[in-house]
Amino acid sequence: MVAVENITQLIQEKARELLSSGQVELVIGYQRASDGVTARPAFVRKAEDAGKLIFDQTCTHNLGKYAIEHRGKSLAIVAKACDTFGINVLIQEKQIVREKTYVIGINCPGVVESSFGETGDRLQYRCQICQEHAPAVFDYIVGDPILEKPLDFDPYAKVKELEALPQEERIAFWEKHFDRCIRCYACRNACPQCYCTECVVEQIDPNWVGAPIQVPEKQIFHVIRAFHLAGRCIGCNECERVCPVGIPLSLLNMKFSLEVEQQFGYKPGRDPEVCAPLATYQPDEDLGIGG
Amino acid sequence: MARIGVFLCHCGTNIAGVVRISQVREAVKDIPQVVLVEESKYMCSEMGQGGIREAVEKHKLDRVIISACSPRMHENTFRKTVADAGLNPYMLEIANVREQDSWVHADDKDAATEKAIALTRMAVAKALLNQPLTPKRVGLTKRALVIGGGIAGIQAALDIANTGHQVVLVEREPTIGGRMAQLDKTFPTLDCSSCILTPRMVEANQHPNITLLTYSEVTSVSGFVGNFQVQIRQKARHVDATKCTGCGICWQKCPDTVPSEFDTGLGGKKIISIPFAQAIPNIPVIDMPNCRYVKHLEGQKEGKKLPPCRICEKLCPTGAIDWDQEDQVLTEDFGAIVVATGFKPFDYGRYAEFGAGKYADVIGLLQLERLLSASGPTQGELKRPSDGAHPKTVVFLSCIGSRDERMGKPYCSKVCCMVMAKQAILLKDHDPEIQPYVFYIDVRAGGKDYEEFYQRSQREQGVLWLRGRVSKLYQDGGKIMVMGEDSLMGRPVEIAADLVVMATGMEPNDGAVELAQTLHISYDTNNFMVEAHPKLRPLETNTDGIFLAGTVSGPRDIPETVAQGSGVAAKVAGLFSKDELATDPMVANVDPMRCTGCFLCSEVCPYGAIDKEPARDGRLLAKVNESLCKGCGLCVAGCRGNCINLKGFTSQQVIEEIMALCR
Amino acid sequence: MSLDYEPRIIGFLCNWCAFAGADLAGTTRTTYPSNIRIIRVPCSGRVDPLLVLKAFQQGADAVLIAGCHPGDCHYVQGNYYARRRFALLRQFLDYLGIEKERLRLEWVSASEGRKFSRLVTEMTQEVARLGPRKDTVKRPARQAPVLRPLGQEEAAPALKGGAAAPAKSGGE
Repeated sequence: MVAVENITQLIQEKARELLSSGQVELVIGYQRASDGVTARPAFVRKAEDAGKLIFDQTCTHNLGKYAIEHRGKSLAIVAKACDTFGINVLIQEKQIVREKTYVIGINCPGVVESSFGETGDRLQYRCQICQEHAPAVFDYIVGDPILEKPLDFDPYAKVKELEALPQEERIAFWEKHFDRCIRCYACRNACPQCYCTECVVEQIDPNWVGAPIQVPEKQIFHVIRAFHLAGRCIGCNECERVCPVGIPLSLLNMKFSLEVEQQFGYKPGRDPEVCAPLATYQPDEDLGIGG
Repeated sequence: MARIGVFLCHCGTNIAGVVRISQVREAVKDIPQVVLVEESKYMCSEMGQGGIREAVEKHKLDRVIISACSPRMHENTFRKTVADAGLNPYMLEIANVREQDSWVHADDKDAATEKAIALTRMAVAKALLNQPLTPKRVGLTKRALVIGGGIAGIQAALDIANTGHQVVLVEREPTIGGRMAQLDKTFPTLDCSSCILTPRMVEANQHPNITLLTYSEVTSVSGFVGNFQVQIRQKARHVDATKCTGCGICWQKCPDTVPSEFDTGLGGKKIISIPFAQAIPNIPVIDMPNCRYVKHLEGQKEGKKLPPCRICEKLCPTGAIDWDQEDQVLTEDFGAIVVATGFKPFDYGRYAEFGAGKYADVIGLLQLERLLSASGPTQGELKRPSDGAHPKTVVFLSCIGSRDERMGKPYCSKVCCMVMAKQAILLKDHDPEIQPYVFYIDVRAGGKDYEEFYQRSQREQGVLWLRGRVSKLYQDGGKIMVMGEDSLMGRPVEIAADLVVMATGMEPNDGAVELAQTLHISYDTNNFMVEAHPKLRPLETNTDGIFLAGTVSGPRDIPETVAQGSGVAAKVAGLFSKDELATDPMVANVDPMRCTGCFLCSEVCPYGAIDKEPARDGRLLAKVNESLCKGCGLCVAGCRGNCINLKGFTSQQVIEEIMALCR
Repeated sequence: MSLDYEPRIIGFLCNWCAFAGADLAGTTRTTYPSNIRIIRVPCSGRVDPLLVLKAFQQGADAVLIAGCHPGDCHYVQGNYYARRRFALLRQFLDYLGIEKERLRLEWVSASEGRKFSRLVTEMTQEVARLGPRKDTVKRPARQAPVLRPLGQEEAAPALKGGAAAPAKSGGE
């Protein structure tokens, strides 16, 4: 693993400073989890507790979610590069107030695959394909800048592989996976971009999805969620990580990311001035549809 | 529990001849909450409507379903019927089993009947979720905008002004008058066109209720009926209208001449000029790109020395020349808009076989009008463009850019046959020795005295009408050779003509499409603007408060155009007779319990109808401004959390419709 | 026309252009297959992709969204948003096994009656060629419970009160 002790120290110092000066009421960061090896989110309200904040390559969580919950307060948030894209999206969508949010951005070396009690050296797939290790928004930046190395493979390779399968095999693939879904909504709950007060899939008036836990309903739930994330998903992949039955959700969300990038040349959260693709249009664009 | 009445219309045999009404009745009567099913031969008739009213009262219905023609036909009719019976008019749904069923599936009665049942079920499913809706009342601005200062626009402006309301007449050219000003005489009366037009122009100019904005264009329109906000750009004439007296010294002394658009390129105009002698207002315009002084100033910047001129400025007795004058943008409020932007003639240069516009002596109808006109480029002397010689043999070709699929103009332009007859007669008046020939496909002389006029051209004036087409024109020395056919005699014909006149069809004026888009009104495949109903509502568009008059909606002659001008005035007066208008209550509505304040709705709304309203915790949530909302539903489709809904087309209703259709 | 199966097509037509165009197809007495069922919406921009998903869930074999030509939307820009939304959705549904041909977005103006007619005819034929849906978004068809009149015995024991036991509902 890459040595990141100095990042931890810098974060602790900054947190201490922000809390004791009263600039923020709450610092959202990471602390060591109860298994002693992985990390979990931390909520530090007193300067003397700043010592529990850590940062290492097990810090996989996207903390933007908590920033929404605590939006009324002035807060600081520890954010890896990908997390900052999400924060930009939330700022654009007025779920976070930029002026009240102090972003501690991290030049992130990538996070490793881990589960409770275990960790290792293998970078998560989303970090393997990452080409943007620098935060897009920050008030304080820590960590050495990472030199971007060009990939020798297509980041969307897995999506394209699935696309290339014949229809029956694709249908069978998805049926096999959606069959295991238990509609626990862990994926939705882990995603910062899913902040609706009453998620459409749980609404009964109107009943968009239906109650049965059968493949058609489960499939519709995932299609709706993926569509609602189109142009907003930043690929943190927490949804896939938290899924208790291991559904390859990245293959759904990345399909939309691929389409959005190809059709509109847009990647969410990189530039808060650029309009999200479904919030704007070009009169003369040719999207291969509409005759 | 709802009490739904379903009313099945036979529409004579239009529906009943294909859809088995009794089967529909059987299927529908068992739908839960349907308490009554009735039939009528013509539901929209007094008897049919009376039946609905009675049924509502007698059976205490709270929702009415009518299975009949398209809602676009009679939704308003039946809303009134239902309202008369004491129900909220929005507790009505109509199933389209005529235009979208019996008329298109006449070959399969079983399928048509099944579909009628499905569509009726769909209407019931939607109606179960209908809520009573109440329109809001808004005030209106009793001021009319007329776009286009031709005879249609002038007539409309005069008639509206005479009802006591203010009118602003916006015209793109420097003068009002339109096409009629370019004509010599009008058929079938052979009235001098200018003589009958100019008194109207003067009246419009002098009327206290009419404001003329010439050399101006409408650039943007927003709002809704009774409450339009319009931006008008007044282009700079570079002549101060408050000082200019129209004395004419400037254009007399201006040293340069360019082709005149008014004279269709056959004559010239000075750089500072008015389009024609009776122009109103008679304030000239400086054609800046061609002006010597402007070229001198540009040349100075590039280090070139060109003569400065400025003769007009030096000679103007009131100092009205204003080189620095700029375009003005006005923002005005109007309650009604009349579109009367007219037509332009088809470009005959598109016919390669007729010389592609290269032969000087092959001209269009409007060009001949200018040549015949006493105020035209040849002062009314019949001189042909190439060498000024008097033509003795003149050949007319009909249907140029009309009735021609190849040119994308399948329609008939209605008036050209009569124009040819008129011009042929006028040629003979000028010189009895001229022999006019007219190659025609059919002669259309449908108006009052038109047939007699056409017969007169043959019998009294000796115009030769040859039924046949012309395949080619080519120049041979000083003649244009016309190769045609006399199909009644069954032989080819070749005529050596001195002058050939193309009967150019009508097409919408330049900028018509852009104006339609600015106004958000429809235009058809020929770019003519679309009426609300071609038979019964020829002066209205689908947008309330915007009306059409004249050739903007299709080819027509002067009597019709004038009638339409007066007609729209009646429509506008009717609109302005009310002090309040009811707005459409089918507007969007935010559920503040669900809204997360992301304002995606605001980004997609075309009308800026989403306001920001603070919630109890200080966060801003979306709220719909019902006066601006037009009920398009873009916000509803965009909102991820289903936090906003559209009254009259709620998501719940559409889902119920889908479920009813997918049974 | 003879089709191996009768596809059910749901059409969302905008009130100002496409629905009027469909009316014109009727006024001018064109013919097209009756498989399509039309739902009127104020604008093609009103069509939430979730509504289209609902239609597919309920068993529609194809969905048509028809609106005004770009630039002519009665509400200025609804069709532009519809274009973006369905460009994305169509690709995604294809990925999940609902063929691209089953979701169409078309521009039909109020004067294009014949175009509408041709469009529906062509679409119905194309969807018929594709055959029934093979994906798993479609809810399986439920078999209606079998109700026998009182007094008639049946293999399954009758419930108290005399009503027969309903047949098991089908599911795949």
